[in-house]
Amino acid sequence: MADTKIVSEVAGSVWKILVEVGDQVSANTPVALIESMKMEVPVLASDDGLVVEIYLAVGDSIAEGQAVLAIRD
Amino acid sequence: MAFEEKLADLARRKSRALAMGGEEKLARRRAEGHLNARERIEQLLDPGSFLESGLFATSHRPEDCDRTPADGKIAGYGKIEGRPVALVSNDFTVMGASSSVVNGKKIRHMREVATRSGMPLIFLGESAGARMPDRMGAAGRAILGQDPAEYQRLRQSPWVSALLGPCYGSSTWYACMSDYVVMRKGALLAVASSRVTSMAINQPVDAEELGGWKLHAETTGLTDLVVNTDEEALAAIRRFLGYLPTNHNEAPPRRPVPEGAGKSADRILEIVPDNPAKVYDVRKVIEAVADPGSMLELKARFGKSISIVLARLDGSSVGVIANNPLFKGGAIDVDACAKATGFLVFCDSFNIPVVFLVDQPGFLIGLDGERRGAPGKIINWMNALSLVTVPKISVVMRKSYGQAYLNMGGGRNSDEVVCWPSADLGFMAPAVGANVLQGGKKSDAPGRHQQVAEEISRDTSAWGLASLYEAQTVIDPRETRDCLVSLLAVYRSRHGSEVGKHLLSGWPTSY
Repeated sequence: MADTKIVSEVAGSVWKILVEVGDQVSANTPVALIESMKMEVPVLASDDGLVVEIYLAVGDSIAEGQAVLAIRD
Repeated sequence: MAFEEKLADLARRKSRALAMGGEEKLARRRAEGHLNARERIEQLLDPGSFLESGLFATSHRPEDCDRTPADGKIAGYGKIEGRPVALVSNDFTVMGASSSVVNGKKIRHMREVATRSGMPLIFLGESAGARMPDRMGAAGRAILGQDPAEYQRLRQSPWVSALLGPCYGSSTWYACMSDYVVMRKGALLAVASSRVTSMAINQPVDAEELGGWKLHAETTGLTDLVVNTDEEALAAIRRFLGYLPTNHNEAPPRRPVPEGAGKSADRILEIVPDNPAKVYDVRKVIEAVADPGSMLELKARFGKSISIVLARLDGSSVGVIANNPLFKGGAIDVDACAKATGFLVFCDSFNIPVVFLVDQPGFLIGLDGERRGAPGKIINWMNALSLVTVPKISVVMRKSYGQAYLNMGGGRNSDEVVCWPSADLGFMAPAVGANVLQGGKKSDAPGRHQQVAEEISRDTSAWGLASLYEAQTVIDPRETRDCLVSLLAVYRSRHGSEVGKHLLSGWPTSY
């Protein structure tokens, strides 16, 4: 029951969040889109899991390595 | 019978050596699901092709003679798909395959024969490091460093390593000199074991954190592939060598073109979005362009904004360096720079033509990159690129911005530049450029911003480049495979052999 934080690989601003708390996600699927370098860069889930918490909202700025949400396996 | 006693003695000695470190240790390995050093050789090589060198070698210390069959490192020659190789398979059941005087001689002999005869060298790694007390005191020092070429790598033939257990000492060093490194989950690669490290720095150290597969696949990039079992690792070595010549003076082997080649060309228009803000996985493009089933990605978890892939086009090996917008929008970070540079060195050393697939918004700028020496990595790459003598073809699919335009083969840094009509060769994204030139954000002066952005995007098209003959052609993306096959045929050398000059043969193996 370990929580895994799903982090953005790039700095930018949150463009879209594609999941809600309670959603089941699978590894390598996009959970959010970050606007960075004028592109929509996806944040991919690193593992399968259930979304337990979302830390950011659309429009928030995000740093490289910052967590967007947490999933629980 | 003549020789009767001597032959019986030979048989007895042989069977003792083949028993390795004894049934108890072998059984433990079997229970853990790992192959032993001899089973690994059997799985790796063509059946019946192993010719052992040094079966009767043992430790030179009288007290260790009887418990060191093959002195813990099994060496010899064999064949993979009918082509010769030399190999060293570490036998962890014999004193942890620790490094000694005699087994050091075996490694050296394999290295020298592989180089002289021109065949790949394979290390099946699992070793504890220096053997004690052999390496203690001045006498221990005196057995080290007797071969000044021990760590010299001139890439005369391919070297491959598998990390199949704890790897310290020779298994670590040879992996770091190899062209291809496969790591089995659970294996460890580090300068010293977690036990030794923990004692040295007086704090607990987790073995996986210190040298596990995640570290080397994702952070150091010292491994090319991670697998779950010994069997998968050995199959991966066979597959990898199939793309390579047996040595640097040969062209890579050609394979029959599989059925269905070129049938996926139309898919490219579905894979790559028209809208430059949308991302995609470039590996799907490579799959659509290459011979079916011929893609072998290296370092897939490291520096992911560039994909490096061995593949075949019309039966011939090519090395593909492709920006992958799926990760970091394709922005090239420090890891991706090191990955691309290493792959250029590798392809050039073994006569494999290079194809760039370009879609990148520039180098990833930021504090982290600068702290890690990004400018140095960028110029390392350019230096390597300028020394490449195999054919280089650059296909600009969408963006190619900034200085990275040169790194991805722009200008005369490729033999041919091919553009898709979607190519965009600006210095940076027009809207960002307008911000920079105006010293502010869009909202400061919206009308002016639009005008500047339009000025910046003028003449950054494929047509602008083609009219100046900086791109030699503009093609329908669906023609990419045919175009590459035709161009590679044009550049295939007719001067006797398809062999480059290997100006990168002494390039550092890790940097």
